[in-house]
Amino acid sequence: MTEDISVFAVSCTAKPTGGRTLQKERQLGEFLAEVERRALRIAEIGVRDRDEALDLVQDAMIKLTRNYASHDREEWTPLFYRILQNGIRDWHRRQAVRNRVMVWFQKAKPADNDCDVIAAAPDPAGRSPDEQLENAEAMQDMELAVHELPSRQREAFMLRTFEGLNVAGTAVAMGCSEGTVKTHYSRAVHTLRDKLGEHWQ
Amino acid sequence: MNKTDQQLAQQAKDAFDRSVDGLDAATLSRLNRARQAALAELEHPNRQWQRWMPATGVAAAVVLVMITFGGPGENNVISAPATDLDILLSEESIEMIEDLEFYSWLDTQEFEGNGDLG
Repeated sequence: MTEDISVFAVSCTAKPTGGRTLQKERQLGEFLAEVERRALRIAEIGVRDRDEALDLVQDAMIKLTRNYASHDREEWTPLFYRILQNGIRDWHRRQAVRNRVMVWFQKAKPADNDCDVIAAAPDPAGRSPDEQLENAEAMQDMELAVHELPSRQREAFMLRTFEGLNVAGTAVAMGCSEGTVKTHYSRAVHTLRDKLGEHWQ
Repeated sequence: MNKTDQQLAQQAKDAFDRSVDGLDAATLSRLNRARQAALAELEHPNRQWQRWMPATGVAAAVVLVMITFGGPGENNVISAPATDLDILLSEESIEMIEDLEFYSWLDTQEFEGNGDLG
């Protein structure tokens, strides 16, 4: 019987990689499921387009899995947002180049501000249409104000306020010092307070 | 940060959380698919190099064509601009240019065949 147990123990420890991979896959799956919806909304505020935001989030998920799956669970959040923010910055650069090129070929289209994704979403909390409208308008105002912030201020504000990262985590995600994060965040809050006015106080 | 700023941040967070809770089923489904695609990377970590195979194949074909037709000699069609013009203006030469694609493809086939044998 003892021999059987020892043989079983050896067979269990003979392939540690497979078990570890499964555990890592489960952890990573839980992490991504936990972070994905907020990440999508953060990306959406950054690029003002849900389809583009979905692509950016998927890219960030794949890059995190490919490059940082072996890292500790605590490191994933700042790393994931660093990848996502880099993706958003690249998207803006590509968009700027595309706009410069396209201006030669076609007239500029009027800005499409009629798309209200919040109002179109079903309300799981069962609020009245008036309440929904009020919330949607408030969110839209805030979203637009956040979107119009300078990019580094926007990153600092969204990571600190929406994702709830601390200063150190935000610094890793933004690839800068903690002092810089504090400065960007403070400026962002002041700008938003000026823009949003008394409705938000 | 003063109390007003904290209130503003809290209000913004609340509005953001409500918008996250209100995401529709289609979007959540797409997020789920994105997550599964990412996790599939963990199961097949060595697949990354395969994405470069088409580009590598094309690059190999181009190098092969350059070696075959780009070297010094009487048949150097690349380094003779005057001849290029003749080629482009005459009907027969156009056919020859089309043949270049065929030869390029043929070289690739031979290249791949040799690879299999080796």
